[in-house]
Formats: sequence, structure tokens, C-alpha cells
Amino acid sequence: MVEQIAHIMTPLFHRMLDIVVNRLIPQAGVGGSTEAVEYVAPKTILLAVGVLAALGILFGVALAIVAARFVVKVDPKVEQVRETLPGANCGACGFAGCMGYAEAVVGNPDVAVNMCAPGKSAVAEKIAEITGKRAEKIEPKIARVFCQGGASLSRRRFIYSGVMDCTAAVLAAGGDKSCEFGCLGYGTCMRACPFDAITMSADNLPLIHPDKCTACGKCVAACPKQVIELAQASKAVVISCHSRDKGADTKKKCQVGCIACGMCVRTCPVEAIKIDNNLARIDHGKCIVCGLCVKKCPTSAIKDHIPLRPKAFIDPAQCAGIDVCAKVCPVNAITGDLRSAHVVNREKCIGCGMCEARCPKKAITMARPAAAVAPKKSREKEPARV
Amino acid sequence: MHINWEHVLTIFIASALINNFVFSRYLGLCIFFGVTKRMETAVGMSFTFTAVMLVGAALNWLIYTYVMVPYQLGFLKIVIFIGVVAAFVQAADTMMKKMTPALYYKLGIYLALIVTNCIILAVPLINADEHYGLFESMALALGSGLGFSLALIIMASIREKLELADVPKSFQGLPISFVLTGLIALAFLGFSGMITL
Amino acid sequence: MTNTNYGTIFKNGIFGENPVFRLALSLCPAVAVTSGVKNGFLMGVAVLFVMTMVNATVSLIRNFINPKVRIPSYMFIIATWVTVTDQVMAATQRAVYKDMGLYIMLIVAFAIVLSRAEMFASRNKLLPSIVDGASMGLGFLLALVLLGIFREFLGKGSLWGHQILVVDGKAVKPLLIMILPTGGFFAMGFMMGFLNWIDRKFFGGTGSGGGAH
Repeated sequence: MVEQIAHIMTPLFHRMLDIVVNRLIPQAGVGGSTEAVEYVAPKTILLAVGVLAALGILFGVALAIVAARFVVKVDPKVEQVRETLPGANCGACGFAGCMGYAEAVVGNPDVAVNMCAPGKSAVAEKIAEITGKRAEKIEPKIARVFCQGGASLSRRRFIYSGVMDCTAAVLAAGGDKSCEFGCLGYGTCMRACPFDAITMSADNLPLIHPDKCTACGKCVAACPKQVIELAQASKAVVISCHSRDKGADTKKKCQVGCIACGMCVRTCPVEAIKIDNNLARIDHGKCIVCGLCVKKCPTSAIKDHIPLRPKAFIDPAQCAGIDVCAKVCPVNAITGDLRSAHVVNREKCIGCGMCEARCPKKAITMARPAAAVAPKKSREKEPARV
Repeated sequence: MHINWEHVLTIFIASALINNFVFSRYLGLCIFFGVTKRMETAVGMSFTFTAVMLVGAALNWLIYTYVMVPYQLGFLKIVIFIGVVAAFVQAADTMMKKMTPALYYKLGIYLALIVTNCIILAVPLINADEHYGLFESMALALGSGLGFSLALIIMASIREKLELADVPKSFQGLPISFVLTGLIALAFLGFSGMITL
Repeated sequence: MTNTNYGTIFKNGIFGENPVFRLALSLCPAVAVTSGVKNGFLMGVAVLFVMTMVNATVSLIRNFINPKVRIPSYMFIIATWVTVTDQVMAATQRAVYKDMGLYIMLIVAFAIVLSRAEMFASRNKLLPSIVDGASMGLGFLLALVLLGIFREFLGKGSLWGHQILVVDGKAVKPLLIMILPTGGFFAMGFMMGFLNWIDRKFFGGTGSGGGAH
């Protein structure tokens, strides 16, 4: 039955197709070309339709299968974590942008929650909450510039009048600064910082804003002289020089370079400084940030990044005259007899905090002196809290 | 099946250097200018492009030789070639996202850009018109991929340095890049006559 | 967007969003086929035809396409119209087709065609879509003709195949390089820079336009 119908329908169908294509649709009358045919066989049309239909079905099915088989389940936690991140895509965490870190920290149990440098501990805690991982305290870091040789303090070898960019300047025989380890001062780091934390001082040195710096590391990567390094923010005493030239040469090139004289090594109460290859380096694991070396350095190469050192203040009511403080004070600023109240000489006090750490009675506080520091008289007024 | 290896090699070198798709045939310019702002994007695009080119050309050759030629459906070239490339890129996109997410993050964005790339379509069309065999088609595909990569890398290295230069306001961005491409094309002119195809 | 102000649409296609100079889309042919004005003109006509037809078709069936498969369907429509154009041109302009056959077929890869279909024709009625497609195509045509004139005149001293610069009965070819690929890129770059400058000087635009895509 079906065969008979098919037997009749097929030639009829062909005939109709033939009429539509060859009679109703006007012939373009192109001629002249060897490929042009005046009669369009219905077979061609059916073949074209058939092949296209087959291909379409094939692609549709294949893509549907692929889409179903290779589905990537998106964890809603990833979105939540992504919301908490600052979104600067700085790459400090080591992943491909904030989304990359969000996915890694949710999906991978080994990824720590505190890897977002700009986010700091606030973000780490939120991520810990969402993912259920523990938030470990991260030591905040900051970028430090290891050079103080600004335009007025250091010498230049030649006049450079090229593109005002450090990466470009370094192509001209290593830069125009006499000291090959120093900062060139054309501001490449300033332009690299995604958080606007770097400005160039009047003396052509980068100034890092401690509140804005997130230790993302972009400036470290951008500096062609590798003058910027990331360091723990709490370790505020830094030998701001990278010069490995001999002392005599360094002195010729820069007024504030490290000449490896060794004064700081002798002064340090905890032996945290070593000289290596004509450069003094502080071991930040040992350093107690007392600031003694800063005062002793003959070229002022060591920088104390704490803007205003606090001074020790002994509460006479609490002091039991134990005298431990006087013994540990590196500058002998505390005087007092045993069993009577001790007093801190504000002039001598360098705010290292060793006495405060040692006092068993907790009688010592470190406080910033009030705005107008009274010279030579230690007034017992209440100073501003640190 | 006799393969004329000399012909294959000739096609390969011709498509990579002499008739470089960017500098001699002006194809693939849209992506060329978009991706050469930085070296990493240029390199990423080179890899992705060569890979897609090879597979795309192979698939299209297969369909052309075994489906379109026997049934004389040559006029369906354009439709089918684009369809095949689009479907393949879509499938590759989905599979890469699942199987190699790291690679996907690096190179996945380029996949979407490649679909409307002139060269991806041009190579199968040339293969079809010249009735190349499998090896010749592959040689053309590989040569075009390598030639495009070469073009991208050269352009990216120049454009990175260009950022430091003092370009007049009206010429910044695309116009100066065009002039640069013209200069490189001038250099590539030196290759012509190397092989008479 | 149901903007039926035809004047606006028309001007937009030619000046405001001129595909070649402003949007910097579909650059491949602009450089490739303009070694002669005639070639450029025919290419422009082909693009004009394709864009008008594609916009018309997409606008007619815009309500019947499932959004999930719209891009593949648009590509299919574009491919079909390009095939038609290609075949017609192959038959009617044999000589020119030998040079530019490949580029005509590559119209299907133009970003401008797809993006216009997606952004305008799929949301507007038939007539505005046709006007939009036609004006974009016209803008493209004008750009190509302009480039063609620039290149052919400087490169061969002729226009549309008719020699214009003749000295002592011999044809003068001032700057042969303009016909070569290099010349194409130079012409494009200088033309874009010049138009940017005009835009900034007289129309107060930003003038470093061109999205490189």
C-alpha cells in the first residue's frame, strides 16, 4: 500500500519541484559561463536540502551531547567568594584574576583563604566563613623602595633625554644613574600600581603610601632595576640601599648609599644585621625594630619607616622598681633606684619598646608625645595613646 | 596515491612567507589589530588559531571531498564551511572548559573571536577551489597558521614599544598600526619571487 | 529600539557609524580589493546587496527564531545570500571575479553584517531594517570607492581603468607602491588618520576612533 503511494507520489513531487524551479522562478539568463545550466534538476535541490538537513541534524545532536556531557557545575559559593574579593584582578594571589582565585579557593582544598593581598584579613575571614576553611593570620606586607638616592643626593653618568620611562632608560647603557643598583626615578612603578599607592617625590624617588599599598607586587615586577621589594609591614626599619659597590665607590656615587662600614652590625643589640657583598642586610626574623642602627649609620642609609616613634612612659603608680627595664634599655634612658619608681628620659628614649615588653608589672606604655613636644622637660602629663 | 612532496612544501612556504595571509592577502586583519596590543595575547591567539586552523581545514576538506564533490554541491561551500567551523569551535569551547580549565582561562576567549576570522574560512575555500589533496590542504593550513603567528608576534613586539612613542593624536590607535603593517608588508615583499608557484 | 527616523538611520550608516572608518570593522576587503576603483565599487555593491537582503530577511523572520539559536541562523542566512551574490558575480563579471572571488565569498565573515543583523534587524520592522542595511552598505561602498580612487590614482595614474595621468603619451604611475599590499595599508592608515583629524577639528569628536575590530 505504502509502496504504491510512494510510487505515485515521487515522480509527482519531482515534477512539482521541476515546475517551481524551472518555470515559476525566472531564469537569470546568465549564459556565457561553462558552469551555468539552464535546467535545474530537482535531484540537485533535493540533495542540497538533504545534505544541509543531515549536517544540521548531525551538528545539533553532537553539540547537544557535548553540552550535556561536558557541563561544568558552577558552585554558588564561587559567586559568593567572588563578591567578597576586591575585583582588581591584580594577580597577586597567583591565579588568573579574582574569578580564578574564587574558583580555586572553593574547589581546591589546598588553596589558602588568605592569599588575596589587597583583601587582607577582612576578606580572608569572609572567605573562611563561606568555604569553611580556617583563616590563618597573614602578616601584612608592604612594598619598600631600596634606594634613597634621589636626584639631589646621587650623581648621574650622563644626561638622558629619551622616553621618560625606567624600562626605556635602562636600555641606554643601564640607565643614567651613576650607581647601577639605584632607582632611576622615571616613575614606571607609579604607573604600574593599580591602587595609586605610589607617587614620585620632588627628588624623583617613589613614595609608597602605606594605607593604599596592598603588596600586590605589580611595582616589583615593573621595576627594571629591582629596587622595590615586598617586606613585612611591621618590620619598619630597612636598609634602603642595594648597592654592592665597594664603600669608596658608593660614596662617590651617592651620599646616602650603604658603604658597608659595619657600624650597624656592631650596634644592633640582637645581631640582626650582616654584611654580604658590600651591602648590609637586616635579618627581619631577628630584628626588633628598635631603630638604633638608624641613628648610627654614617650615611643615613638605614631608614626608619615609623613616622613618629612613641616614647616610653612609666606609670609611677604601677612601677615596683624591678629595674629590668633599665637593664634592657639599649640607650640607658631609664634611671631609677631599686624599689623606687623609674623614670624615662624622653630625650634619650628611641621608642624601641624593649622595656615595655620586659616589664613584669606592665607599668610601661609606649605613647606618642603630644603635638608640642616639651624639650628637655619630662612633663608627667598624659600623652596621646599610640 | 602519489603525493607530490615538492608541491606540498612549496604550498607550505608560500602560505607562510610569500603569500602571507596578513601581509600579502590582507586577511584576518580585525583580529590582528585587536590582539597585538600585548605580547601575551598575541602568543595565545597564535596557538589557538593554528590549532583551530588545522582541525577546521581537515574537517572541511573531508566534507568537501567526500560529500560535496561527488554530489556536485559545490555551491554549498560557504554555508557548510562556516557551519562546520562554528560547530567545531563551539564544541571545543565546551570541552575545553570542562577538561582543561587552566588552558581555557588563558586561551578560551580567543576561540570566540576566531569564528568570524577571514582566514579560517579562506583556507578551506582555497583548498576547495584548487582541488588540493589532503596533504596539500594540511600544508596550506599549517603554513597559514605559522604565517599568521609570525605576523602577530612581529606586530605585538612593535606595538608594545609603540606605546612609549609620541604618536600624533589623530593617528593614535588604529591608523598608526595600519601604517606599521604597511611597513612590515614592504619587508615581506622581499620574499616574493623566492618560489614561483 | 524602534527608531523610525529614516534620515537618522541613513546618516548613521554613512557617517556616524561608517563601518570602515569609524567602527573599523571588516577591514580585510577594504585593503584587499581597492587596488582599482572598479574592484572597490563592485565589492561595495556586493556588500550593499548582501547587507540589505540579510537585514530584510532577518527582520521578516525575527519573531520566529528561538533566541538560543539566533546566531547560527543569522550566519546561515548571511551565508546563503553571500552564495547568491557570489554566483551572480561569478557569472556576470568574470574578469573582476578572477581577482576578487575569494573576498566576495569572505563577506560572510564580516563582523558588520552579523552585528547589524543582531543589533538592528532583529529588533526593528522591515523598512527601517532595509534602510539601515542599505545605508551601512552605502557607507561601506563610499569608503571603498574613496580608498580605490586614492590608491589607483596614485598607483597607476588611472581611474576605473581609464588612464588619466599621461605625459608625452606615456602613462605616468606616480607611486607604484600604492597598488601593492603595502600601499593598501598605508592608504588605509592615512585615510583613517585624516578622517580622525577632520572629526576632531570640525566636529569636536574624540578622533582616535576605531575599535580595532
